[in-house]
Amino acid sequence: MTVNGTEKGVPAQAGAAAPEAVPEAGTATEAAEPAAARAAAEAAAPDPETARWSGPARWAVPALATAVGLLMVWGALTVQAPPNATRPGPGFFPGVIGGLLLVSAVCLVVTNLRGRATGAANALEWFEARPVLIVLAGLVAHIALLEFLGWLAAGALLFWAVAFAFGARAYLRDAVVALSVSAAVQVGFSLGLGLSLPGGILELVL
Amino acid sequence: METLVDLGGGLLAALTPGNLMWAFLGVVLGTAVGVLPGLGSAMAVALLLPVTFRLDPTSAFILFAGVYYGGMFGGATTSILLNTPGQASSIATTYEGHKMALAGRAAQALGTAVIGSFLASVVGTLIVAFFSPVMVSFALNFGPGEYFALTVFSFVAVAAVVSGSVLRGLTSLLIGLAIGVVGIDGQSGAPRFDFGSAVMLDGIDVVIVTVGLLALGEVLYVVARGRSAPDFAAIRTGRPWLSRRDWKRSWGPWLRGTALGSTFGPIPGSGAEIPTFVSLGVERRLARRRAERRGDPQEDEFGRGAIEGVAGPEAANNSSAAGTLVPLLGLGLPTSATAAIMLAAFQQYGLQPGPVLFERNAELVWTLLASLLVGSVLLLVINLPFAPLWAKLLKLPKPYLYAGITLFSVLAVYAINASVAHLVILLAVALLGLVMRSFGIPVAPALIGVVLGPIAETEFRRALAASSGDPSVLVGSGISIGLYALVVVAALVPIIAGVRRRRAAAKAVPARGGERETVS
Repeated sequence: MTVNGTEKGVPAQAGAAAPEAVPEAGTATEAAEPAAARAAAEAAAPDPETARWSGPARWAVPALATAVGLLMVWGALTVQAPPNATRPGPGFFPGVIGGLLLVSAVCLVVTNLRGRATGAANALEWFEARPVLIVLAGLVAHIALLEFLGWLAAGALLFWAVAFAFGARAYLRDAVVALSVSAAVQVGFSLGLGLSLPGGILELVL
Repeated sequence: METLVDLGGGLLAALTPGNLMWAFLGVVLGTAVGVLPGLGSAMAVALLLPVTFRLDPTSAFILFAGVYYGGMFGGATTSILLNTPGQASSIATTYEGHKMALAGRAAQALGTAVIGSFLASVVGTLIVAFFSPVMVSFALNFGPGEYFALTVFSFVAVAAVVSGSVLRGLTSLLIGLAIGVVGIDGQSGAPRFDFGSAVMLDGIDVVIVTVGLLALGEVLYVVARGRSAPDFAAIRTGRPWLSRRDWKRSWGPWLRGTALGSTFGPIPGSGAEIPTFVSLGVERRLARRRAERRGDPQEDEFGRGAIEGVAGPEAANNSSAAGTLVPLLGLGLPTSATAAIMLAAFQQYGLQPGPVLFERNAELVWTLLASLLVGSVLLLVINLPFAPLWAKLLKLPKPYLYAGITLFSVLAVYAINASVAHLVILLAVALLGLVMRSFGIPVAPALIGVVLGPIAETEFRRALAASSGDPSVLVGSGISIGLYALVVVAALVPIIAGVRRRRAAAKAVPARGGERETVS
């Protein structure tokens, strides 16, 4: 199944409007028909904000909420308030946030367990890990190498890696585009805004 | 009358060649970003925020205002041509707009959208100019207790009303609040959640959170969806000239849409989506009634590409975009993700929106309002002739597009402080954004939490310190009691709507997830 885009609720809406997209007999225009067919096809994709979770992945968000909640409560209990601090002290807000996060985690678990039968589910089977890991690797490499290689090279590397993850396979052309974008940013920023980006080893060579 | 004089003064300041250039740049950038699906004007403002450090505040805000309005229009272009709204506020436009495009009337749909947006922006801006001072004089009576009530109200409103699921909206809000408490506590000076790192003592910068959640998180989400992500393919259009009949059918919806948008815009949490759907519903009903009265079913074009269904929602989303500036400028209260980032921008310059801003930086405020007017005119000039050109932007190869966004995200965060440690935090926030998007957790409440959380905490503790710990100060005035009553209403409405929807879904055989049906 497909999960629709960030433009939340779009296909769901299109699906809801589908019956109206088929007008009364006789007035059906050529234009309306493909639209209606498309809307019907899209009705299969649920609004990701309301689709329930299924599979082992459904415990991810409750786990995240619990972890952050426990961290907040721990911080609230261990924070060192200066002796002259007014009450409520610095630990009060984190404590409340942590408590509410734990409550919401419990509610999320309950929702998962009750798992209403209607509606499509989001089990994350559409998730493609490989390209995500490539983008992440590109980011890590960029962060690690930025001050050593300088913006020009590190930026170009990042651009190239992300483009590769998105399916660009014209390696040479990609590299040329990456270098020119990176160079344009560096020149534009140093000249136009007076912002200095790290030069890295290129500075030593030149 | 005084308002007009002030606005006139602002207009003179905004019309300098330098400021005009920033407004122009803002409108172009905003439209460009709005055209690209998934990239709203909130993200454009977030990416531009660090870049504008070197500008004076006036120029920066003129740029942001242009981006805000431009983004609204850019979203309409893709809704009409591609059935892909660039942002949530253009969803309502897709129904009739895309059908008009399929019927060969894309140019007219774009035309009515541009002119409607223009009218609505102008009217909306005038409303902001006249009502912000009223809001300010109201806000002068506010103490810390009332401000705290106000922040609670916008938390609940944003988490409950804007999100598809109340529980997920609240979870997102709480995660945002948790991010907001990192760093030195402003009241007592105690370090919190710094994990021994000096970088964390300053707290997590709002720019990092917005860029991470909105821009980089989006890139990761799109790449994770791989082939199931939507593809872009453009439809041919002509020049958007309207016939006399189109004008006649459009002006009513424009006015009604503007009125709806200006009414909903200033209400915290209502966002730009609700008025657009209300407008679509109203126009549909009116068209049906008109057709019945004339006894001619052909008169009601809804479902086949009715121009009214584009004119109304487009006017509504632009005027509500202007409307959100009323609480932002008057109270310092952001009611949308973009407004939250604008508030962060004000804070970067050491300005605190609210009553004080109007007293101390009156010139800046009026120039900003006047530049909104200038922005709407530029929007009309740029987009009426060139709307079809914008659609060509979608032909940019997807790998390069997203690679460019990634590069700019990293740059935007690095530019804050030239610190690599910030990039590491960015990476963590982007991963959080990926998780939230993958599981359908809305990110807007988290952003509001990060921006408003520290304000809420400060006001809360200030109120209690002033009353030496007596909690009754929090509900000590009519204003705060009224606001808490609204909190309860805001929380109940989506829950009741949800129950009713579930019942309706149980009746209908194939359950369809029509989330906002109840609204339209």
